Amino acid sequence: MKITIDGKEIITNEEATILEVAKQSDIDIPTLCYIKDKTSDFKCGLCLVEVEGHDNPILSCETQIHENMNITTKSDSLIKIRQEKLTTLAETHFGDCKAPCNLTCPGQINVQGYIAHIAKGQYEEALRLVMERNPFPFSVGRVCPRFCETRCRRLMVDGPVSINHLKRFVADWCMANKVDMKIPKNQFSGKKVAIIGGGPTGLTAAYFLAQKGHEVTVFEAESKLGGMLRYGIPEYKIPKNILDYEINTILRLGINIRLSQKWGVDYSLQDLQDQGFDAILISCGSAESKPLDIPGGALPGVIPASDFLNKVNKGEELNYGRKALVLGGNNIAMEVARSLTRSGVDDVTISYPRAKLEMPANQRNIKEAENEDVKFLLMASPTKITKTEKGLDVEFVRMKLGEPDKRGKRLPVAIPDSKIHKTVDTVVVSIGQSVVQNCFTGGALEELLEKSPTGNIKSNTRTFLTNQVNIFAAGDAASGPRTVIQSVSSGRRAAENIHAQIMAVEKEAAESRFNFTRGKSFDNVDLKNFEGINHKLREKMPERLPEIAIQDFDEVKLGFTEKMALKEAGRCLSCGCTAFDRCKLKELCIDNAINLNKTGMGTSPQYKKDLLHPAIAVDLDKCIYCNSCVKACEYDALDLSADAFDEKGRAKNISLIFNDKCVSCGKCVDNCSTGALNKKSQIIPIVSEKVKDVRTTCPYCGTGCQLILKVKGNTIMEVTADPEQTPNFGDLCVKGRFGSSFVQHPDRLTTPLIRRQKGGQLEPASWAEALDFMVGAFRCILADKGPDALAGLSSARCTTEENYAFQKFFRAQIGTNNVDHCARY
Amino acid sequence: MSNDIDGIKDCDVIMVIGSNTTETHPIIGLRMKQAVKQHETSIIVADPRRINLVDYSQLWLSQKPGSDAALINAMCHVIIRDKLTDENYINERTENYSSFADSITECDPDWAEDITGVPASDIEEAARTFAKAKRGGIYYTMGITQHTSGTDNVKALANLALLTGNLGKHGAGLNPLRGQNNVQGASDMGCVPVFLPGYQPVANDENRQRFEKLWGCQLSSKPGLTATEMTPAMLEGKIKAVWIMGENPVMSDPNADHARKALNKVDFLVVQDIFLTETAELADVVLPAASYAEKEGTFTNTERRVQRVRQAVRPPGSARDDLSIINMVSERINYGQGDIAPNGFRHLDNTKLIDKASGVFNEISTVWPHLAGINYDRLEEAGIQWPCPDTDHPGTTFLFENDFPIGRASFSAISWKGPEERPDSDYPFILTTGRVLYQYHTGTMTRRSQTIENADSGPFIEININDAERLNIADGDTVLVKSRRGKVSLPAQVTDKIEAGVTFMPFHYHEAAANLLTNDALDPYCKIPEAKVCAVKIESVT
Repeated sequence: MKITIDGKEIITNEEATILEVAKQSDIDIPTLCYIKDKTSDFKCGLCLVEVEGHDNPILSCETQIHENMNITTKSDSLIKIRQEKLTTLAETHFGDCKAPCNLTCPGQINVQGYIAHIAKGQYEEALRLVMERNPFPFSVGRVCPRFCETRCRRLMVDGPVSINHLKRFVADWCMANKVDMKIPKNQFSGKKVAIIGGGPTGLTAAYFLAQKGHEVTVFEAESKLGGMLRYGIPEYKIPKNILDYEINTILRLGINIRLSQKWGVDYSLQDLQDQGFDAILISCGSAESKPLDIPGGALPGVIPASDFLNKVNKGEELNYGRKALVLGGNNIAMEVARSLTRSGVDDVTISYPRAKLEMPANQRNIKEAENEDVKFLLMASPTKITKTEKGLDVEFVRMKLGEPDKRGKRLPVAIPDSKIHKTVDTVVVSIGQSVVQNCFTGGALEELLEKSPTGNIKSNTRTFLTNQVNIFAAGDAASGPRTVIQSVSSGRRAAENIHAQIMAVEKEAAESRFNFTRGKSFDNVDLKNFEGINHKLREKMPERLPEIAIQDFDEVKLGFTEKMALKEAGRCLSCGCTAFDRCKLKELCIDNAINLNKTGMGTSPQYKKDLLHPAIAVDLDKCIYCNSCVKACEYDALDLSADAFDEKGRAKNISLIFNDKCVSCGKCVDNCSTGALNKKSQIIPIVSEKVKDVRTTCPYCGTGCQLILKVKGNTIMEVTADPEQTPNFGDLCVKGRFGSSFVQHPDRLTTPLIRRQKGGQLEPASWAEALDFMVGAFRCILADKGPDALAGLSSARCTTEENYAFQKFFRAQIGTNNVDHCARY
Repeated sequence: MSNDIDGIKDCDVIMVIGSNTTETHPIIGLRMKQAVKQHETSIIVADPRRINLVDYSQLWLSQKPGSDAALINAMCHVIIRDKLTDENYINERTENYSSFADSITECDPDWAEDITGVPASDIEEAARTFAKAKRGGIYYTMGITQHTSGTDNVKALANLALLTGNLGKHGAGLNPLRGQNNVQGASDMGCVPVFLPGYQPVANDENRQRFEKLWGCQLSSKPGLTATEMTPAMLEGKIKAVWIMGENPVMSDPNADHARKALNKVDFLVVQDIFLTETAELADVVLPAASYAEKEGTFTNTERRVQRVRQAVRPPGSARDDLSIINMVSERINYGQGDIAPNGFRHLDNTKLIDKASGVFNEISTVWPHLAGINYDRLEEAGIQWPCPDTDHPGTTFLFENDFPIGRASFSAISWKGPEERPDSDYPFILTTGRVLYQYHTGTMTRRSQTIENADSGPFIEININDAERLNIADGDTVLVKSRRGKVSLPAQVTDKIEAGVTFMPFHYHEAAANLLTNDALDPYCKIPEAKVCAVKIESVT
């Protein structure tokens, strides 16, 4: 039989519906309710197509093909109908696609996912998920301003989850337990990339580029890597040994390092191009402090913040006197003040021309400085510094807020005749950073490099390209000082662009911003969402008392214990949808350009989450009544019903009950078109980086069902099956779908054990020791008693190849036929 | 299986005997139910328990445990008596028919009713239903084989299949359902004391010489001991060193206490496993192995389909895949050097797992003609059923289409012997054992998969409602079950799904290990233990 779909001629013999023929021919007709070989009264109505000779579109799922049928699956009017139907469904669909924490994180890190791993005790996997997007979990886990926590919905119950402390916990745990992350790396691509600057941006870019198989060389001006993490942030926040460990994890990917190489002095951009680098990334940070432009601003004893912190972090002990003044209200100023306190200065004052709340520094950092007795001189601006006998006399003028400008902003203005004086021994200036003082030097390319009005390198915010071919810029060098996570994010995105450019491939499309939400701001979130959630206050991070902490540069915050981490992870409300990677409703909404801001979506929960089933969690707020679950079930185990249907045909008061025929096989979940049905064991939403599908054979009974293991990091996220694959054609039993979590059970044997003395305990040993011990005993018995004194029991669980090798060992090498397996049990 | 899973849907009659298929092989059980719905297949269930499939069956024969051969002989008797045999088939494809027919002249349904407890009329109906069907498939598992008469039971079923011409065509056959993922592969590979790979007897000089040439070594012609024979040999001090790869005999063996004593006795025990099993705890060396998701290779399923196993994740810590471990031991035992172990396989750490495994598979396909046409490239798309003699061969969905390996198939006269241990006044109940849907074997994997543990309700013993009333046992009461070999206590499940006098326990649970009770008496031919029948007594302890 010959038919035409979208102008494509298709020859098919089968008696089939249009939808089935289209599926076989890889023509995608949207549907939310199709299940192979199954029908039901409910029709989602999306699979409408136009057929020549019919006035109105018809449902492709219930129309049999006939000779010379001419079918159109895409047209403006079809899209319009589909949009209407999808809008109807979207209007009442209620839930979060992505969790607010995930959406808010500049690094787009799967926060809910790693917290879920922690809750399961899978710390290594939690770290792996973080490191999918952020190779600096130790540092970020210590200094991040925590954008995520500001949006945590738990705030509406008792307080946000201590997300960042959890991140730090998993990083620290993996270090303490000597976990080798074994980050995989592609084969050499043939491309070389030079990175200028070994700070968080540069090393992040190096980390992602190396994983792609590129040869990466990092040029660092200082004698050690780390940039601001090493030379800007003091030891009491990020201990140097932790930083060394963190950087070493990145370097283990095989990254070339050139230390003490100053750009513009030791090499130029042209030199790098001459050396055959296919791309150059400038990520040198913005380490130059802006000078203090007042009389006396360059006197001895007036020090730029970056110089000061650089010396402190190199451990140079200098005498800063008894009194010190820090000019500026940024995060760096806070660290300068706290470092001065630890450098023998008794009296440290931060001065800033506005109020404390208006300081650019993170309020948490301001509080920490205050705790350590740092004083604040607010609403005051320095006008002059003079050298006197007693030290440096700093003259200030007091400020007040001026009249609102056009935008309503009140800038501080000087109060006439309000001069005050402060005498100090040291002044540290922290009023901003830039890449260079004036302009780039060292070569022709450098001089051509365009700068932004704020003194940074101008680079395209999307492509990261500078005005020079194949030269990119990212991180603080392009944006001015930002947080570590923003540097990391910038480095990662720059790496993606560099990879796409040098390999001449399309950049992977960014994830759609389409997102159902239970409320964009806290005001919009219905309190009904939190009914039944008990108060559980957040764990408090243990820390050293301020009066003790200021005596040295040792770390102030001590980190969560495992118990605290588990408790804290248990507070997560798991807002994001665990069907994120498989939701057909979302996929079709994106394909058909549904704009949720216009259509609206569900705003309050209508149902209680149903957790009665041992393996399946039900969230009827996400149910679109497509009946796929009922159709997919081979056991008639689901009773789905609705009290009524509203004017747009949507089911009201839905009831879904698993009856006693249910065998927990989970096929309904795999066929659910939204996140209404979820596997209880799959609590990690799969966002951003995709899962890898591995087809394999079930390890249980002899049926040999074909499984698809969905793998991320080193975790089997879930198990599904391919409806087209013999012998099980998409069917699995409870063991097939839910029986693979033993793979990651903490009871797994991880090292050889030997009993060194008869009657003694089994003790860990190296492979060499265990094998030598075993072989020694075997040889002895072989020599003494002959081959038939040895016997081998092989396993029906092991592979055919292993069984072959095992019997061959006993027969060919030992010389006995004493080899059997468990066929009889 | 002589036939394939896909053929189930085309069976006109399915006889399920000694197999709780919907629990032990859920997807095959599902196919049987679908056959009833879509093909109007008739199912005959022969099982001491009212298993789930009974709800879908035309007939349920509730035979006493251990009486299977009597039941089958009586069915054969009826078929011959009523002239329902496939005469053409018998004449052209079989031998020994008349001596077999003679041997069962006495085995009429009344005789069988006494032994099996199944009404004679039901036996008649079953025989006629099966014989009249165009396509009749027989499906069985350990309920048939784990008996001292296990071999005879299988032979009896073979007689039934031959008598009705059901061996060698689609939608029929004699189909043992393999209980474990790769029993088929392990057996195919000669992990059996009497066979070299491909079921070639070690005692046969020609076979052995072929392998000696292939492997470049001398081979012993003396058949080895089966696992069940190894236990007494260890106790007698004949076996001094044992290497156990991926087995847990302390839990899985009948009379498990016996197995524990034996393993304690040997001079040196090596256990290679993914968990510290009850058996591993006794070892001198424990080698941490990789799970199925951490290795490359193949499993051969119950329908002889060779299918790929692919690595999804890395093994934890320093655990290694079993093939690498074998190769490392192999290298050391002969002071081997270089990147080729003395067994001929590459074992270098930097060799990809898939290359190591495919190297072994390629050797297998040269030593066993049934696999000659299979390689990893072909398996990429889908599994292939052996025999597959060359790379253009599509594989074989059912065996014996045109002939049998021995030419004609032979009927065997079977005399019913009954189980070794029968109930008496001291131990008045029969205990039979099996599996439940939610668990698998000794539970090392399922019991560490949280969802499954949540869904399963733990150990139990099924007791007939009348027996329970007599013993004053209520549903859920803890009872003490004793046999001559051991005792366990566990909750009672009072039910009418099992006949009076018979009890059932799943054997998955270490906290109530059924195999502490079971009998390790062996079938004289294939040395399978009689795990399916023993005598117990039951005491209420609550």
